[in-house]
Order: sequence, then C-alpha cells, then structure tokens
Amino acid sequence: MFAAITSATLTGTSGSRIVVESHVGPGIPAFTVVGLPDEGCRESRDRVRAAMLSSGLEWPNRRITINLAGAGERRGGAGLDVAIAVGLLVATGVIPAEAVHNVAFIAELGLDGSLRTTPGIAPLVASVADHDVVVSAAAVNEALIARPSRVRAVSSLCELVSALCAEAPWPDVDAESPRVVIDDVPNLSDVRGQPVARLALEVAAAGLHHMLMIGPPGAGKSMLAKRLPGLLPRLTHEEAFQVAMIRSAAGMTVQTELATSPPYRAPHHSISMVGMVGGGTAHIRPGEITLASHGVLFLDEMGEFAPSVLDALRQPLEERTVHISRAHSRVEMPAECLLVAATNPCPCGVAIRANCECAPVARQRYLRRFSGPLLDRFDLRVHLSRPSTNDLTGETKGECSEAVAERVAGVHNIARTRQGCVNSAITGDMLDDVAPLDDEALMFLRHHLDNGTLTGRGYHRVRRVARTLADLNGDAGVISQQWVSVALHLRARLETGVVHHS
Amino acid sequence: MTGVPQWAYAAALAGLPLQTHTRLRRLLSLGSPEEMWNAITERSAPVPGVSADVMSVWRSTEQDAARRMEDLCRSKNIHVCVRGDAMYPDPLISDPRAPAVLFALGTLHPFTHRRVGIIGTRLATQSGRHFARVLGEQLTAENVSVVSGLARGIDVEAHLGSLRTERGAPPIAVVAGGPDVVYPREHESVWRNVVERGVILSEFPPGAPPEPYKFPLRNRILAALSEVLIVVESRSTGGSMTTVREAMKRDITVMAVPGSPHIKPSEGTNDLLRDGCAPVTCVDDVLVALGLDTRRVVKGHDGRTPPSAVGLRILDVMENLPRTVDEVALLAGMSVVDVAVSLGSLEAQGWVAQSDGWWEALTR
Repeated sequence: MFAAITSATLTGTSGSRIVVESHVGPGIPAFTVVGLPDEGCRESRDRVRAAMLSSGLEWPNRRITINLAGAGERRGGAGLDVAIAVGLLVATGVIPAEAVHNVAFIAELGLDGSLRTTPGIAPLVASVADHDVVVSAAAVNEALIARPSRVRAVSSLCELVSALCAEAPWPDVDAESPRVVIDDVPNLSDVRGQPVARLALEVAAAGLHHMLMIGPPGAGKSMLAKRLPGLLPRLTHEEAFQVAMIRSAAGMTVQTELATSPPYRAPHHSISMVGMVGGGTAHIRPGEITLASHGVLFLDEMGEFAPSVLDALRQPLEERTVHISRAHSRVEMPAECLLVAATNPCPCGVAIRANCECAPVARQRYLRRFSGPLLDRFDLRVHLSRPSTNDLTGETKGECSEAVAERVAGVHNIARTRQGCVNSAITGDMLDDVAPLDDEALMFLRHHLDNGTLTGRGYHRVRRVARTLADLNGDAGVISQQWVSVALHLRARLETGVVHHS
Repeated sequence: MTGVPQWAYAAALAGLPLQTHTRLRRLLSLGSPEEMWNAITERSAPVPGVSADVMSVWRSTEQDAARRMEDLCRSKNIHVCVRGDAMYPDPLISDPRAPAVLFALGTLHPFTHRRVGIIGTRLATQSGRHFARVLGEQLTAENVSVVSGLARGIDVEAHLGSLRTERGAPPIAVVAGGPDVVYPREHESVWRNVVERGVILSEFPPGAPPEPYKFPLRNRILAALSEVLIVVESRSTGGSMTTVREAMKRDITVMAVPGSPHIKPSEGTNDLLRDGCAPVTCVDDVLVALGLDTRRVVKGHDGRTPPSAVGLRILDVMENLPRTVDEVALLAGMSVVDVAVSLGSLEAQGWVAQSDGWWEALTR
C-alpha cells in the first residue's frame, strides 16, 4: 500500500536528497503528485504510466498519490520518474520492500520503458552517495565521479524490476575509478614577440589578477587569452571534482576522467544576464561565471556585452560566489574565476594610435561604456599592439607554457604559505604586512597619487600586482620601486575624459 | 527706447536669427545700428538687400531685445566692438570679409603686439602637443601674441604654453561660439586664464552655441588676425586646412612643422611643406619670418632633469615616432621590465608622454 523511495533533485550546482512517498489505496482511480512538483515532475505521471504499460507491468487502477516529502520548496525534474515507478511497484507488492532498502533511483523514463539520463547526474549521485544508486546505463561514467558506495546501471524498467525481484543478476558496471587526464591547451610558444603581453599573462596567472586587454584587431587578444589556462597550476583533485560537478549540473558531458586543466569559457557577447551569472525559472542552472570556476572567463569585445550583464559580474567577482534569489528558492554557486576581457581602444580599431580617425569624444564614449567600478576590478589593464612583421615571420619561438607555468606555480606556493591566499586576494589591511614598500617605491607612488595619475583604489591594486611581480622575480621581502613602476605600467590609464591644468 | 547705446543695437543685430556676416555688414553700411534696428522691428521701412523671407523672420523679433542684449553683455563683462570703433582690431579693418561686430571677453589691447597663429589637429600626437606648448611659451616670452582657437589638441596646447610664462604678450583666442561659451567643457580653466591675460574674440553673441558651420567662419578671423600662421600637425583633410586657405587668400605667411611621413597627423603639414611653405623647427624660424632679431633670444632654460644614460638610449631609439613598449624593448635591446621602469622615470621627468599605450619622446 505504501512505499518510500530515495531519489535526488538538483538546485544550482548541488543535489539534495528527497524521499518519494507512494500510496496506492482504494477509491476512484486517480494519479496525483503532491509536494510542490514542478511542470516536468507533473508530466512524469504520464511517462510512468506509459512506461509501465509498455514494460508489460500491471497499472494499478486505484487511487494513487505520490508525495515529494519535505513539501514547502518547489522541486522536480524528470530524474524522479524511476523513483515514482519503483514506489508504485513496491506499494502494489510487485517488488519486495527489502529490495529497495538503501537504494536510490535517479533516471528519467521513456514511454517505451527505457531509462534515460538527466542533467546533473554527478551532483545528484553525490547527495545520495551512501546508497546504492541506480542510474541509466548512459549515465554510469558521470555517476562514478561522485563515488557512491555502488552504482547500478540498467537500461530498461523490465531489467530493473527483474533485478530488484532477484529474478536476474544486476547488469555489469565497468566500475573504473576516476582517472586524471591532461588535455591539450594551446601553448604560449606560439606567441611570437609581444613581450608586454607575455609579461601581463604571466602576472595574471601568478597572482590571479583580473586582466583587461586593450588593443586593435589582430593584436592577438583572444589568442593570448586561450593560452592562459595552460599557465595556471593544474587543478587539485577537489577542484577537478568541483569542476566536474558544475559541468554535470549544467548538463554538459562529463567523462569518468577528471580533467585537470582549468576550464576556459568564452561566452559570446549576446549572452543574457541569467546566462552569465546563472538562474532560470524552473531550474536554477549555473551561469558562465560558475562554469569558469577555477579557470578563465574570457569576454571578447567587452564593449558589446550588455552593461547590465557586465555589472552583474561585479559582486560575484568580489565574493567569489554567486547568490541567486528567486521567489521559491535561494541558491549559492561557486564563482572563483580569473576574468580576462578584451576590447578595441576605439570604434575604428586602427592599429596605430596616431592614425585613429575617431573624434576624441567618440573614443571617450567608447571606453565609458564600462562602469568605473567594473574597470576597477581589473588589476591589470594592458595596451596591446600588433606584433611586428619580424616577430611574426621570425624563426625564434617564444618561451613555452610549461616554463612559465612552473614560475607561476612557484608564486602560488609562496603566496599560499605567506598569506593563505593568492596575491590578488590580499585584503587592504594585510597589504602593509604582506607587501611592504621601500621608501623609494613609496615616494614614487606618492608622486603619482599627487599627480592624479593614480587613484586611491588603484593604489592598492598596484601594490598587489607589484607583490606578484616581485614574487615572480624572487624578491620575497620589501618591494622595490622597480616592481611598483612595472605594476603601474600594467595598469594603463584610460582616456575617459581629459582635464587640462595650466 | 532711450538710453540703449549704439553698440547694443549692433549686438542685437548680430544676434538675429539667420544672420550672416555679409548681411550684417550690409545692414550696418545702410545706417546707424539704431536706425536699422528700428527699421526691422517697427516695420517702418523696407530694408534694401534683405529678402522677404529673412525679413519675415526678423520682424517677429521683440523690440526690447536690444536692451536685453545690453544687459547680457554688461553682466558677462563682454565688450562689443563695431567696425569703425576705436577699439575694433586694426588688422581686421581692411579685411573684406571681416565681421562687422565683434564680441570680446577680456582686455582689448593685444593688437599692438606682433601676432602668430598656432593651429593644428585635435587628434594630435603627444610630441605635437609638446611642440605647440613649447612654441607658444617661447613666442609669448619674446613678446609675440599667440593667436589660436582653444580647440582640443594643438590649439589649446599653444595657449597653455603661452600661459606658462610669467609675463609676455597677451594671448588671443578666436572661438566658434559666444565668447562666454566654454567648448569643450574641459577647457574651462584655460578659458578663464586666457580672459585674465588676454582676450577671447567671437563674432557670435554671448550664449551662442558652437555649431559645426561656425568653425570655418572662426578660422577666417583667426587667419586674418595672424601675421604668420603655423600649422603644427594636421591631417590633409583637417579643419586647419581651411585656416591655411583663408591665410593664403590674405597673403599671410603660412609655415608648417615637419613630421614623420608614417603618421596621419603629419600628412597635412608635410603637404604644405611640399607646396613651398617654410618649415618651423624652432622658435627662431618664426622670429626670422616676423623680421625680429633672434640674436638676443635667450634659449629657454629646459627645467627638466637630464635623462640617465639608459634614458638617453631609449629616447634615441624612439626617433620622435609613437612607439609601443614592445617596439622600444626590441629597438633598445632591453627587457620589457627595464624599459617599463625607464619609461616610468622618463615620464615623471617629462621626457616622454603616452596615450593609449603609445609612447613618444618629447625632445624636439
């Protein structure tokens, strides 16, 4: 008459355990799902009925009530189909109740009785990892990432019923533990010349400083950004696990192998705010900023993005998490990414500044599209130029990614042991302890502050970048003027308005 | 209507809608400003030479506009000079296209000094700006007035240089809006200082906005007021070229500053040089053209700290062209870090300037 089956639903990037209660009793034949199911879940009534009939199972012509226990929060997803079907079969006595003890079911049903995978298998399985988990055969690899106590893979409802009734053995599962793979990232040695760009990339990777590249078309902005993941340290096991969970939650394919190269996301500029930070009406799904966690988020042609989309990035970048609040739920998702953006210096995008045709006002207006607070998030603002013909055609290859990555990893280690975080995350009150300046450097920054070429906010950012530069060059102690000077150089002044003093 | 001075009627006539300098000159040649004003506003008599549709617009003007113009000019301290007044600038009296009425903000005596026009593009390079500033400063120190248009780029730099001197000839600015209309906004402080030391002239009444068609008209006055006109940087299609043409019509010497053939801001000036204009490479060239004695010229003391040996090497490889740090590093054979450090101190000393990542040596 009654059965309680374990399953899981997805919110944001994490799964939550849910108990599907089934009751089959006397009364006018009916089939209702209660407990605030969403649209996909209410439709499962029809899928479950059709699947059971086409699997040759008897449909109980009685009053059926399904309750998603823990009412009060809207949830659902087609992943509850099998749990509902098994619940009915237990309640009608087809499957013995002991057989489903400590077993969770996560799969969608097809009308022909086959089991299908649903988005977010990895985090869903992780939330019921102490159970035996039944998933569709296609979802085995993804389920194994979450390392449940046991994974059962079946391809149809018939197969599942006979296995639960102990009439047939469970189908074999290739229970391979997650392997680590290193996939190909383009190498920095392809970049010819452009020493400034190389330096900026290295600093960005070493201190995880957000970077804005300003340069004409053909300066290699996207080429450089694509090589950044190869400079970052390989993901640790936990990071790789988290990345796989996020990818799974977003409905992307995930292999058994955990990729250790940092993710690289380059959304097109037509992206909506929900696409960028995450959200959605029925299901809250991760946005690009979450998908880029532990990796690089590259915004090409930043001026073409909707201003609201760009400004929505500000809070997640600062707090390193995204909070999404909707009427029915609140979700927190990780957003620990390195932001790299690229823009043309002006509408005409000519290679040599002196030959630019744009009116001064047009140039200012072009850069004024970015709000001050957003521009301020970029520790590095670098002007790039097209590489010279000699560099492009020359034989000499640049330094390779591996050599740079080694230095970068060194700085990450120094920073973690010194202050417990990367250099870009040094807080204002820690700066004097962690990044002290010598007198000459202090005078130099004073000069620029008095001059108006450096703002108060910029002052702290320059000091963080100088810390990274000094670390990269083995100067662990007091920061000398040299590094402050270079850091200032990597923080280009943007001509958003010219004021003359006489 | 009593007590309204003649100049106020003239100013009100200049402020009529659809007014042009040709119409205004004709109106004022027909009678006194007051008579013409009354003829228009009281519909007493037809005004010869003015078409009926212009007249119908003019006739809707209120008669006390002259009094309001008087109050406006007095409150803004704007002097109105009509052609024929004692205060009207001498160089314009014989000019066939001179404005019949001039609005002046500041003091109106600078026309006793020698005058040199310094003009150029708004999209100037840093070294062009530097050259204009130094030239403006040295000419002013030699008691030569700098005439310019207070536009962005070369124009404003010439006056900024002029204002850097402690004493010297007063600056003269000719603008395309009313003399009280600061355009562009960021030139507010320069505007104020020019008024304090010299004069801002315009043929448009106070409050008139600077409109595109007014700039070429402004350029003709600028050219007519100069004895020598110097183009520092200009594209071949630039607005400075209209000033050059106006100057050539008036047989005024035009000189040009030579520049690199690789960049557009030197196109126009190099064209002028090819067409036979004399080049300007230092203040002496200008003084010679004015027929002034250059022997007593005390070369302005360069207040900048001399660059270090590395700094000199970098200035040397930059060759007065806009360069990126990548290029400088390649040319000087130094690391980016060393170049960045040196450029930083050269910039602090005033030897280089950058815009949008392009660095230029300021050595000329």
